Amino acid sequence: MMNCTEWRDRIEAYVDAELPPSEMAAFRAHIEQCTACAASALALMQSKQAIRRAGNRYTASAELRARISSLAKGQDLAEAKAEPAYVVPERHWAGIERLFSGMWPRWAMAAVALLLIAGGLFLGNRRQESKTLAEFADLHVAALASANPVEVISTDRHTVKPWFQGRIPFTFDLPELQGSPFALLGGRVAYFQQEPAAHLIFRYQRHLISVFIFRDASQIALPTSSIAEQTSSFRLRAWTQGGLRYVVIGDASAGTIQQLADLLRSTQ
Amino acid sequence: MTAEKGTGGDFEQLAMPLFDSLYNFARWLTRDQSEAEDLVQETFAKALRGFSSFTPGTDFRAWMFRILRNTFLTSRTGLRAKLTQSLEEDEAEGEAVAVTWETPESFALASATRDALQAALDQLPAEYREVVLLCDVEEMKYKDIAEVLSIPIGTVMSRIARARKLLRQSLAGERTGMPASARRLDE
Repeated sequence: MMNCTEWRDRIEAYVDAELPPSEMAAFRAHIEQCTACAASALALMQSKQAIRRAGNRYTASAELRARISSLAKGQDLAEAKAEPAYVVPERHWAGIERLFSGMWPRWAMAAVALLLIAGGLFLGNRRQESKTLAEFADLHVAALASANPVEVISTDRHTVKPWFQGRIPFTFDLPELQGSPFALLGGRVAYFQQEPAAHLIFRYQRHLISVFIFRDASQIALPTSSIAEQTSSFRLRAWTQGGLRYVVIGDASAGTIQQLADLLRSTQ
Repeated sequence: MTAEKGTGGDFEQLAMPLFDSLYNFARWLTRDQSEAEDLVQETFAKALRGFSSFTPGTDFRAWMFRILRNTFLTSRTGLRAKLTQSLEEDEAEGEAVAVTWETPESFALASATRDALQAALDQLPAEYREVVLLCDVEEMKYKDIAEVLSIPIGTVMSRIARARKLLRQSLAGERTGMPASARRLDE
């Protein structure tokens, strides 16, 4: 059994997901007991998240993307420069283009391109989506790792809902859980990109699932439809309803996450 | 990410998804838009030419970042940065990096605004800036960072710890001025 001093040196490795699996479990067990280490891990996770946000600072011009894309295809660079045909990020519709090339005349391709540019921001950024996922995953994990995952501990939706009054600038409804496989554990106030959010924690068998509800502020970059991230162990469902954004995230199966999402959606 | 050896088509499919990250990283290294654009273009050209030497089963992203960084180091700006590289490293490596995380400093970092944090990142000595970007922004594994920077994993870990410490100090010391240790050394 390692003591705090020894764990201190490993907190960074823990937060960077670099601890060997055996130590990972031991560390998790330790932070359940030790508020100081839990607080340290949380502060470090939040720092990491803040650095990630700040570090994603620069976006390349469409012109550069087009040039590099042609280069990567092995096309002659001079030719590529003379013909900046790709205005929409290549990777988002390289497949579509391949599908249609040869079938459509160039002007039709251009028309499709324009339409896609309009929708481009929407289609856009897979990468942004996975970052959003990462941010919610961080919030989810940080809450579970903290000594007090919930500020209002109650399985009763009629206790949890009023608790948020005066703490967040909106109200929402919670579903009747009786007869469902989900149990409400409690709630807390979280912040996503400076926007206050109701953070509810549900249990499904041995999985904990977080639900975030916040105002549909347009400056918040969110997946506009539901996405399932394969590269992470977390599943996420997001939607907008009644001017509020809902995000359900957890390590349960995609079907379970969907089920909870449907349940919440049916309440509003 | 791993890949089979192959042709230009494979290269495009592997490399284009990294375009945004590579460009962002290039801007942080060069601090200049047109230099960053040249750097990314040269990186893709070199990588395409050398694609057959990429070892399948190894990390393609680390391979690309390594090419970008090595290309940067041989550029004019890169050489200048290298020549004026911080002499602090030797001290830093020996220093105990254990950190008490719940100090007000660490919360200063966690709650810093994006602008303040970007300014603090900008002021970090280059070798700390790059390591923290690879770790926290690109979320690379220590072993891949070691590969990109051609340094041992132990050095990766101590540099990351030191980089975060400098950031914390810089943000906590915002009102009282930068601590001497975090002063920009390459200008």
